[in-house]
Amino acid sequence: MDKETAWRALEQLADTERTHHLKDLLQDPDRFEQFSFRQDELLLDLSRQRLTPATLKALLQLAEGCQLGSWIEALFSGESINNTEQRPALHTALRQPAHNSFMLDGQDINQDVHRELERMEHLVSQLHQQQWRGFSGEPIDTLVNIGVGGSDLGPMMVCHGLEEFQPAAARAIKIHFISSMDGSQLSSLLQHLDPARTLFLVASKSFTTADTLANAATARDWLRQASDIPDPLLLKRHFIGITARPEKAQEWGLSADNLLHFWDWVGGRYSLWSTIGFAIAVRIGMDGFKALLDGASRMDNHFRHAPGSSNLPVLLALAEIWNINFLDIHAHAILPYDGRLAHLPAYLEQLEMESNGKSVDRDGQRVQHRTCPVLWGEIGPNAQHAFYQLLHQGSEAVMCDFIVAANRYGDAGESLQSQHRLTLANCLAQARVLALGDSALDQAASSAWQHYHGNQPSTLILLDKLTPGALGALIALYEHKVFVQSVIWNINPFDQWGVELGKQMANTLLPHIGARPQQGFDTATEGLLNELNQLTTGSKPA
Amino acid sequence: MKIAIWGDELAAWVAAAELARTGNEVLLQQLQPEDSSLRAEPGLMESISQGLATGAIRQVNRQLACSAEIHWLAMHPSHLSDARALCTEIGHRGPDELIIINQSNFGLGASDQLQGCLQGRGQQTVVCLPDTLQQGQALQQFSQPTAFLIGCEHPEMQPRLQALLRPFSNGLQQLQWMTRREAEFSKFAISGMLALRLNYINELANLADRLGVDIEVVRHGMATDKRIGEHYLAPGCGFGGTHFTQYIEGLADILSETRHSTLLKTVLEENERQKELPFRKLWQHYQCDLQGKTVTIWGCAFKPGVASVDNAPALPVVRALQAQGVNIQLHDPEAIEALKQAIPDCKSLSFYSDRYAALENSDALLIMTEWPEYASPDCSRMKALMQAPLIVDGRNLLEPEFVQHQGFVYYGVGRPASQC
Repeated sequence: MDKETAWRALEQLADTERTHHLKDLLQDPDRFEQFSFRQDELLLDLSRQRLTPATLKALLQLAEGCQLGSWIEALFSGESINNTEQRPALHTALRQPAHNSFMLDGQDINQDVHRELERMEHLVSQLHQQQWRGFSGEPIDTLVNIGVGGSDLGPMMVCHGLEEFQPAAARAIKIHFISSMDGSQLSSLLQHLDPARTLFLVASKSFTTADTLANAATARDWLRQASDIPDPLLLKRHFIGITARPEKAQEWGLSADNLLHFWDWVGGRYSLWSTIGFAIAVRIGMDGFKALLDGASRMDNHFRHAPGSSNLPVLLALAEIWNINFLDIHAHAILPYDGRLAHLPAYLEQLEMESNGKSVDRDGQRVQHRTCPVLWGEIGPNAQHAFYQLLHQGSEAVMCDFIVAANRYGDAGESLQSQHRLTLANCLAQARVLALGDSALDQAASSAWQHYHGNQPSTLILLDKLTPGALGALIALYEHKVFVQSVIWNINPFDQWGVELGKQMANTLLPHIGARPQQGFDTATEGLLNELNQLTTGSKPA
Repeated sequence: MKIAIWGDELAAWVAAAELARTGNEVLLQQLQPEDSSLRAEPGLMESISQGLATGAIRQVNRQLACSAEIHWLAMHPSHLSDARALCTEIGHRGPDELIIINQSNFGLGASDQLQGCLQGRGQQTVVCLPDTLQQGQALQQFSQPTAFLIGCEHPEMQPRLQALLRPFSNGLQQLQWMTRREAEFSKFAISGMLALRLNYINELANLADRLGVDIEVVRHGMATDKRIGEHYLAPGCGFGGTHFTQYIEGLADILSETRHSTLLKTVLEENERQKELPFRKLWQHYQCDLQGKTVTIWGCAFKPGVASVDNAPALPVVRALQAQGVNIQLHDPEAIEALKQAIPDCKSLSFYSDRYAALENSDALLIMTEWPEYASPDCSRMKALMQAPLIVDGRNLLEPEFVQHQGFVYYGVGRPASQC
């Protein structure tokens, strides 16, 4: 069946199924059995999606009509599927076992990957043994990751999520993440740090990112004030660069010995598996980092080889396609019921919206349907006290992802274990009320404002336990889901042209900030430049 | 008296030797210490052999030892549960009237716990007698103490204890009876105070370095104040040893658990930092690059007169140099074997029995232990042997002005170059 036919069939199905309420679908005693899927330590429960077996079948036909199978092969085999930049997207090649080989343009890139991992391991071990020395000879005990976007969100999310897995040697090292362009994070952090014991990690794929280089320059000045040793020595002891453009990093002053590489074929938002994950390796050790890679690699194999009807990334993607394109749901909430995953929503915001926030297809034509919805999130129990009101009684349809670990606090006291049971109960309760509405109760609502309509679809992802392997698999699940959706929508998820114009415009405007006003911009910009000029220099507006 | 000795700590062996020498019948479980650095304690093994030869010291089985009337416990700090089991057994098997003298560092309240293991039959008593031994001079300190602090809560046992200690009481200036818990606490308090003084003078020395003041002058000035005195005010690259460190760690834990106080924890952390001071001076001298350099270390024992490297500053310095790719040439009159055990398989480390031979082609000399034979070296011979005339004196052993005059670059602790 071709894509158009499959699409039309789904539209027809939607005409009838749109009226189905989840409370009726959940009457079916086999529903959980039918719509929950397991892959190793991950359970994907789609039984609260507004799907019927017929819909699922039609969605799988749509995937077939879009040649999903050959696109998956193209992804894994390194074809240049990032067509606007004419390169492959090979984040999956970052997590292959060392004994594999992967030829790209005559080069075994798996060897390159493992060579860089070994270099990273060497640096990490110096830090863990407290033998990376600063300018005074003190061991480094503080790592500051300077990066933004993919060079910040991924490492920060994983470091935070897996903190309890840190080996004893890692405890002596504190890690901070700095991203904001305005220097507000950095200036308050530097007040508390000892320059003699601080190592900066400058992570930028292009090594031209304005935000990152501005922060790095401030860090460099701070070190210069603390030590009078020559610049190259100071930078060699206190800076590591992680980049796909080593020549740019060396121009900035970094030593070649202190550069870790990654490659053009790794997208920034897919890069935590590369040396960009340095902070992760420092936090959870190389063994932990390798377990994270292994979890992702297991998900890769599953995605590449499992049939669509039991393929977790495919099923998750299709359930959302149904919501977005056929049930008109354009908001997506990410709700981890686990404080350790506090940064997961921000990470997925970038992964999904930067990848699939597109409206031109691979052929340069305007797409005829909706693509990536607006996505946001928060730690679930905290969000209950913030925006759940809208989920339960607002006028917007929203799909939700609940993410929770079954086991936690194994060795801890009873009070923490009971906090975990409380959290699990809240997670299940919210998913149930969103789906069933009032009918979750025995009696109907006594007033209109106490009425819950329900029928908000949700996915629940249950991890056995939050481990490096499980988190690796979870992130890879989302990466591949995003890819499947891009195939259905026929868009390129691996470029981000939409972020370029703003950067360019900022460069154009920079010389005009606080300077004498000039013509040539729009009236709003000219007006604001005038105001700024007046406020910052005290001169009268023109 | 018939005295059973329990444990393998320095205090156990010294007590065995000295009590046998003063006419007691001493019962041991083993014939020599496990720890080779104890075997190197000056005079100790000779004394033990003599006791064995005369029959004053005998190796006996546990059952027989349990029946003695005096028991001397100097066991490892981690062996409290063994000690409890032992006291229970002694309580059953021993005579109705017996004394257990506890010298082990089991922490506060441990002696009371041991008393609790005795069934209260007759006059079975645990006494706490904190040891004041320092490695290297332990026999002499045992036999000629100036003070005894005795934790004993049974006055009727005092004459018997005094009789036992009489041969060692000639130079005694003070004998103070207190509770067991007070005796334990006193030992902790003394160790903590000494550590604080050492830490304080090191802190001042590091400051003096920055301010261009010679700490050696300052500390002699400090000592003129009688309230302060001269002891434990020598700046250097940190203290080591097993015993002293264990007491300070013990007190630091109690302070942190009971009072959330970080005072002694900070002392311990700063001491660890101080141990690497000679490395830092070298690192800064060579502008953060020591790769391929050859560095000589004189002294790895944690203090002169001992063969032990327990918690010795030389250990972190060797590891730091090793990590930077430095070839290390090491000399120590006693402790080389102990260092080989502490840092096995170190390819970049070579050992010398002649301190001058260790200087050949060296880019720097680090003095880590103040062995007397390092105090007055032949500077012209040294200069001829070394690749670069550089001395980092972690013990302020040398006279800065003199060695500088001999053409050396000299770094001490709290002795800024410009002042020397």
